[in-house]
Order: sequence, then structure tokens, then C-alpha cells
Amino acid sequence: MQDPLYREIILEHWNNPQNFGEIKDADFVVDDNNPSCGDLIHLTGKIRDGKLINIKFTGEGCAISRASASVFTEKIKGMEISDIKKITPDEVLEELGLQLTPARMKCALLVYQTIKATKPFRE
Amino acid sequence: MKNLKKDFPIFKTYPELVYLDNSATSQKSQSVIEAVDTFYKNYNANIHRGIYDLSQTATDMFENVRKKVAHFINADSEKEIVFTASTTESINLVATGWAKKFLKKGDVVVLSEMEHHSNIIPWQRLRDEIGITLFFLPLTDDYRLDYQKFSGDFSKVKLLALTHVSNVLGTINPIEEIVAYFRENGSGVKVLLDIAQSIPHLSIDVKKFTCDFAAFSSHKMLGPSGVGVLYAKKEILEQMDPLLVGSHMIGRVTKEKVTYADIPERFESGTRNIEGVIGLGTAIDYLQQTGMKEIEKYEKEVTEYALEKFASVGKIKLFGPKISHNRIGVFSFAVGTVHAHDTAEILNRFHIAVRSGHHCAQVLMECLGISGTTRASIYLYNTKEDIDALIKGIEEVKDTFKQ
Repeated sequence: MQDPLYREIILEHWNNPQNFGEIKDADFVVDDNNPSCGDLIHLTGKIRDGKLINIKFTGEGCAISRASASVFTEKIKGMEISDIKKITPDEVLEELGLQLTPARMKCALLVYQTIKATKPFRE
Repeated sequence: MKNLKKDFPIFKTYPELVYLDNSATSQKSQSVIEAVDTFYKNYNANIHRGIYDLSQTATDMFENVRKKVAHFINADSEKEIVFTASTTESINLVATGWAKKFLKKGDVVVLSEMEHHSNIIPWQRLRDEIGITLFFLPLTDDYRLDYQKFSGDFSKVKLLALTHVSNVLGTINPIEEIVAYFRENGSGVKVLLDIAQSIPHLSIDVKKFTCDFAAFSSHKMLGPSGVGVLYAKKEILEQMDPLLVGSHMIGRVTKEKVTYADIPERFESGTRNIEGVIGLGTAIDYLQQTGMKEIEKYEKEVTEYALEKFASVGKIKLFGPKISHNRIGVFSFAVGTVHAHDTAEILNRFHIAVRSGHHCAQVLMECLGISGTTRASIYLYNTKEDIDALIKGIEEVKDTFKQ
């Protein structure tokens, strides 16, 4: 029986995350953590002409936070910065398609909140 | 020991619940719940300085618990018992009310790498304020305290602030040996023990420890939350400053000045959690009626059973001693490469309540080179069947994550 939370797609991203790693000559480098669990995220990215042309992440995290980072970085890679600014938390959760408890919502939104707090994605 | 779950209404509400988060907080017995309920129905009044009968009765009940606590930990007098809000507040009271007043720049406070944040941060703050030095005693490979690894001037060590039992590893630290070691090496050291994780499970004797301070919480030992205790030797308490000033803790107040009340009232400003203290008294009654020695013996049996089971499951790493000697039933573990939160999430599907994360011990996590663990912790009502359920749940975790 397939687990309602740890569906194949989540486990796939957990095992083989997209954009996992580090960009050497990055335009922005950001580290953040989830104080409730101690999980860490490290993001590096490249920007050209108002576009996020590349983004990578590393860090320690649960399957939900890692899958979310994989899905989200895949979504925003190549997007205009002005469009990335407009993304809402609900869209991130919708993309994952998971029913999450408040505690796990923090895991799913860690990557999103880290990006949103970083220049030039800050409002 | 007979199965005690029937004394705890939560297990009637949720018959399937496998509660293994006792290091975080314990469940409450029917007797404790009734004591709080009865207090509100029959005795509720503010304590101290009430002339009417109801207030006097409430005061007597409250003060009676102070005596009970003193007796429970073998203190000399109930005057050595201060009711605080938590273990954290108790330790802050020592840091601010005693250490800040009597320690000076260059003095050393010895902690350990297995301390809870509540016994680290107050000392870091004091270090930043007055320039004391902190030394963290390291761990051995089998998760014991390597207390002979202290390097430095023993004569500068003014305080040993140690946990009796690790909330992550389950290790029971040999407090008497450690204290003797420091005193033999010429340090006139004072000793503060964090006994929050030990007092629910083990007989505590502050005289045997020869400690100067001991801090613990009601909610981990069957009592209500919001009540902590600081034990401190009378002569030390008399020299200490209060953490909070204001109501109740005064001798005489004029526009110009104030004199403080005697101990322990001096440290109990504001209306305390009266019903919580009453509940703590009933919790102590329950523990004493069950017998601390009996509880210790029973939990050791379940701990041994759990350690055997853990050893038999593949792909599990246990962070803590592998034998039941000097160890309580706290089991921190990792299942393969699965993150602690994911393990806890799967276990929750089977109504198994465990904690996951850093357990307010990030220094320890860093020393172990991990970001967190999943932790199962037992108490007197847990059974071998609970351990079986946990092991079965862990197999499900392995299955889901193909470990």
C-alpha cells in the first residue's frame, strides 16, 4: 500500500534530489536553518538579466524538506526574479500535493522561506 | 510491578496510544488530575496573608507540598525548596541569583557536552556578562561522561553544573565520583545538578550527592506543568538574590526602599502555580506509593528488553550505552539514512508517540556529528508490549524508505 505522505514521487526526490550540490561562482549564497528541528539548508544561485539561471541546494533535512527543495528549485530555475517574488506558500504546497500537519509544513516551506528572505527575491 | 496504565486516564481515552515521549513530559495519573480538580472545587484561594479559613487551608496545602518535596529528595529543611516555573527557571535563578553575584572573571564553570540547553545558555549568557570561562566535559565512545578530561586550573573551578541523566542518551552520570574527583583535585567547587530527567525514575538524595543546588520539573514526574523546583542549601539560598522582584517576596516596602522576605519566599514573587504545586504533591504520593525502588527495578527490566530488541534490528544506530548499567530507558536512534522526523511521522501512523530532532541538546548533536535523532523514552506505565510496538513500527519505517 502506498503511504499517503511518502508517495513514490517524494521518495524519488528524496533519493535523487534535483539541483543537489553547490555552484562555485554563485551570485548569491545563503544558509538557513529550521530551529524546531535543527535542519540546515545551503543555497547557491546564478542570476543573469533578471533571471535565475541556476540554483543548487545542499543541507540536512527530512524527506519532505529535501523533496520540497528539489521540486521548488526545479520550478524556479529559469524563472524571472519578478515572478519568483510572486510565488505564494500555498503554491509551493500545492506543487508538492501533500496534506501536511503544521509541524511538517515548516519542513516543506524551509526552502521557499529561505529564498524569500534572500536578496534579490525579498519583497 | 502490575500494569499501571489503568491509573492514567489518557490510556483510556486512547487505548491504542503507545506513549514513548516521557523525557519530554509524563502522562498524569487520575489522582493528580483529581487533586487539581478538587483544589479548584474545594480549596481555591490565594495563599499567604489570608485571614479567612479557605486561604489558610490553601496555604497549608501548598506549604505541605514543600515539606513533601524536601523529604522526597532528602533535603534538610523545607526552607531549601523554592517553587519556580520550570527547571529552566531554577537554573536561571542559580546563574543570576548566585553565580552572577559570587563568580568573577576567570572563574570556571564546568558543564558537559550532554547538557540540555537549559543548562548551557544561562552560563553562556553569564560568560558574556561577567567573563567566566566554560569547560565542557567530553563523552567517551560508549556515551559516558569522560570527567577526568578536565584540563585547566582546578582551583579556578567554582561550579560544576551537570545533568544527572542525559535526556538524549539515557546515561546516568556517576555524580558522587565526579564531585569527589574535582574536590580531591583541590577545587572548592559548588555543585548544581539538573535532575529533571532522573527524579521521575530514580531515588534522589541531595545529601548523598553533596550537591549545593538541584533543579527539576513537576511535569516529567507525573505532576502538572508550570511548576519547577530549585533545591539549594540553606546557607547559600540566604545569600542569593531573587530573579524576579515584586509581590509576595518582600519584608517591608516604603517609597525609598525594600527589605526582602526570608527564604524561600524571597524567590517566589508573584502568585505561584498553586494548583500545580498541589498536583506535584499528589504525584509524589503516587511515586512513593508505587515505590521508587520498584519503579527503578521495573524500568530496568523494560530497558534491558528494549536494548535486546534494538540490537536485533538491522540498520539501527543507537546513540547511548548498549547495556542497562547506569542507564535509564531513553533510546535515541537513527533508522538507516531516514531523517528523524520521517521516522517519527511513520511511527505516529501506528499511534506511537516519540520525539524527533535535537532534543534541546544541539551541543551534543554537534559532538555526535548528527542533526537529530528519534527518541523513545519510557516511564513506569510502559510495558514490553510498547517496546514490541515500537520495534514493529521501526520495521515499517525501514519498509517505507526501503532501508
